[in-house]
Amino acid sequence: MTAENKFGDIDPQVYQKEFSEPIHRVGMITCGLAIIGMFLPPAWLYFQYGVFPPISAIMVGMGLALTYAVPFFIIEPISYYPTLGDAGTYMSFLAGNISNMRLPCAAVAQAVAGAEEGTKQGELIATVGIAISIWLSIIAVFIGAVATGWFVNFFPPWIQDAFKRFLLPAVFGAVFGQFALRGKRYALIALVLALVPILFKWKAYVVIPLAVFGTIIIARLMYRPKKSA
Amino acid sequence: MEWKQIANEPWIWICGAILSAIALYQCTYFMIRALNIMKRYGLKKSDINSIIRGAVITSFGPVMSEIFIMIALVVALSAGLAWQREGAAVGSVFTELVQASNAAAGAGQEFGAKNFNMTGFANVIFVMNVSCIGWLIAAGFFTKYLGTARQKIAGGDTRWLSILTVCATLGVFGYWASSSLAKGGGIMVAAIAGGVLAMFFFLLADWIKRPHLKEWALGFAMFGGMIIGKLYAG
Repeated sequence: MTAENKFGDIDPQVYQKEFSEPIHRVGMITCGLAIIGMFLPPAWLYFQYGVFPPISAIMVGMGLALTYAVPFFIIEPISYYPTLGDAGTYMSFLAGNISNMRLPCAAVAQAVAGAEEGTKQGELIATVGIAISIWLSIIAVFIGAVATGWFVNFFPPWIQDAFKRFLLPAVFGAVFGQFALRGKRYALIALVLALVPILFKWKAYVVIPLAVFGTIIIARLMYRPKKSA
Repeated sequence: MEWKQIANEPWIWICGAILSAIALYQCTYFMIRALNIMKRYGLKKSDINSIIRGAVITSFGPVMSEIFIMIALVVALSAGLAWQREGAAVGSVFTELVQASNAAAGAGQEFGAKNFNMTGFANVIFVMNVSCIGWLIAAGFFTKYLGTARQKIAGGDTRWLSILTVCATLGVFGYWASSSLAKGGGIMVAAIAGGVLAMFFFLLADWIKRPHLKEWALGFAMFGGMIIGKLYAG
């Protein structure tokens, strides 16, 4: 069944005036507010407790964090946009969990209603699906944080020590393993570019950019675009 | 006062609530706008209920696996900070953990180690929150232009975009995994076990044709790797 069977063709002018325009206005304002909101925790920490990191620590920490994040700032919105649409993009990049929750919810909602991505009907339906998933996840994360915060106090010392010493290495190994499956050759390059300088005791602020950009550059040199038929 | 104690005081819960309120207002406003048009153009209440049901069912698995993985963030930082970063923020638990490690390294400390103190914590708070603003800028101010940007940047070659993101992730997690390997002992074993288990669970999901297993694969690998590392080290 197609979307047109479920609901009729939408007048483009009505869609523009009653959906697109207010969506862009409110989307821009709310994302702007969230940007300001991101400065709230460090500001509050400073004003209530008088703690603020040294500028040098911020510069190096931000440099390392952005080395990782900047490619995603550009690529993720562009990649996800066709499925999420305008409203879905604003919502998903404010609420997070895009690939594991927002995209599947948009796709399922569209499938249930028989609408195609990229159409006006598809965008409206994806909007409802994503909004519902955001309500659900925020409520669940709140309950989950309170419950696990209480629950971890009862962990036996053996488990607490395991969390303290071995959780992070396991996380790093696990995410690396997941992405290694998506590019085995690149995984080997990244590992060599990172491990060799570490063995020579090079600093993180040199090795992380080297591993990230080195892997990207070598991958680009190896890359052969598929010729269109 | 200890950083662990400050990390769970009311201020951080309130910061998380403010960001979540912004996200909830935004999504509710968008949903009402969409529903109004859909109803006007003849979509039945039963169809709307089906869409809502589909979204709830689809979200359930990922939400549960997120809470499961969130234990990592609660233990490594605090319940309050886990709520602030995961209630409504961009990064997954894994992104947050790697950014916390980057922030601690910026302060000349090691996240989770004995030398991690209030300065490291303050840097984690700053870097975790401020470094994710790029996504909000991209969405908030460039959504209008994303359709054309996609064509221009990729030139129709979306395969390269996908490889580029994989390489960026491999680069940064490759660094942190390698630093664990270089330490040897239980830490090295935990990293290797985490990697092997993640690959196993992702491949298993494909072999047995259970794609939903992938939602849990990283969580299982993370906790499995941690336990194996601890068993090895004693």
